[in-house]
Amino acid sequence: MRAARVAVVQFPGVNCESESVLALSRVGLEPEIFRWTRPAGELHDYQAFVLPGGFAYQDRVRAGALAAKHPMMEVLAEEVERGKPVLGICNGAQALVESGLVPGSGTVELALARNRMTGRSGYFNRWILARVEASECVFTRHLAPGTVLPLPVAHGEGRFTTRDPARLTALARAGLAPLRYAGADGRLARRFPDNPNGSRGAIAAMCNSRGNVLAMMPHPERAQDAGAVARGVTGAWAERRRAAADAPDGLSGGGPGLLLFEGLARHLERA
Amino acid sequence: MKTKRGDMRVAQAWVELKTRDPEAVSALGVARAYLPEGGTLRELRRVRCIELEGPLPGRAELLDLLHRSTQFYNPHKERIALRIEPSDPAPVPAGAQVVLVTERGATARPAAERWWLHETGERIGVREGVAWILGFEPGTDAAAGASGLAVLRDRRHGLLCNPHSQEHRQSDAAVPLPWIEGGAVPDEED
Repeated sequence: MRAARVAVVQFPGVNCESESVLALSRVGLEPEIFRWTRPAGELHDYQAFVLPGGFAYQDRVRAGALAAKHPMMEVLAEEVERGKPVLGICNGAQALVESGLVPGSGTVELALARNRMTGRSGYFNRWILARVEASECVFTRHLAPGTVLPLPVAHGEGRFTTRDPARLTALARAGLAPLRYAGADGRLARRFPDNPNGSRGAIAAMCNSRGNVLAMMPHPERAQDAGAVARGVTGAWAERRRAAADAPDGLSGGGPGLLLFEGLARHLERA
Repeated sequence: MKTKRGDMRVAQAWVELKTRDPEAVSALGVARAYLPEGGTLRELRRVRCIELEGPLPGRAELLDLLHRSTQFYNPHKERIALRIEPSDPAPVPAGAQVVLVTERGATARPAAERWWLHETGERIGVREGVAWILGFEPGTDAAAGASGLAVLRDRRHGLLCNPHSQEHRQSDAAVPLPWIEGGAVPDEED
């Protein structure tokens, strides 16, 4: 059986497409970089989509704002309606939020606002801990709630917020926040730097109600190797990192970020 | 007499790239190509609007201070227009509309305030937003057109302000002074 084809959608300024292609290949999928210059309608030929990180259109107006208006997003919206999965990572997440595909009511209900950090401002990168929450999201539902994944973040505008805080709380309670920032003890991270951007409810990722679209700020594709896990990370993944370093294949053992792509592969296998 | 807010004087600096602003060029192209309200948009400029509030010097000294720090602008790349009286014109053509976009709870510029204190010994407040100046085809209801482009609603409507994290105000060429609200309380963690 032929592997499912996944379009790695690249707007000008997106720069994480190669890592995303590698991660998708490692879980048995058939990824292809789909650049903005191609006819948007050709996206209909793919079974799933990844919007990688970077700086689409140099983050002009707002991060993701101009990409959200591109005809490719209209095609993605049609495919989302058909149930096809879409993963937006960092800048890709910003485009999904600015286009209203997350949480998916048709109108824009959220913002990924500028980071709000103690004693600093602007761009921030660090390894954080993302806790898996109970959710029907196709990318995380194979993971036990409470599982903690070390993942890197790198952004200046990653704070999930909304005009009506009660709405965000309701979305999270409905299982639409499948990843939340956590401390080393596994409890929700309310403060910087464990919560790296001041996101409400420590939300690191949000999905739509159907669970087939995920907008996440951490970069799973940068954590696809166990050996890439940062030295400061403790616990089970630190053990795996050390084991990976001693393994014959060096750093190529599957890392925590690969689990998100495995979720996609499992979903496509069943579909 | 300077414009006052209580006992404080307020000045408004409009800082704009001397060349065409790439951000505005891109936004204009996207608005015209994909948004119904952008079909009659003819010109779009992006200007940083900076307000200073406190014990300010006269116009010449104020301009000199602004000129001396890139906290405010880079004179090699940008030009500045200063308003210290409501009657001073903003660099907005007649018939155009201005949409001011600010980050909710984050208009203050503490680094600029620290620089000012270091240079002058005076404590002032500095606030900043982005002013989008929109010019439409003749015969267009410019106020309605600008309003339609101002607030992001969905993929096909609105662009300049995401109301979930930003605030916006709209004016014609007679821009208020002061115009930027300061001191908003940042979102609290729920």
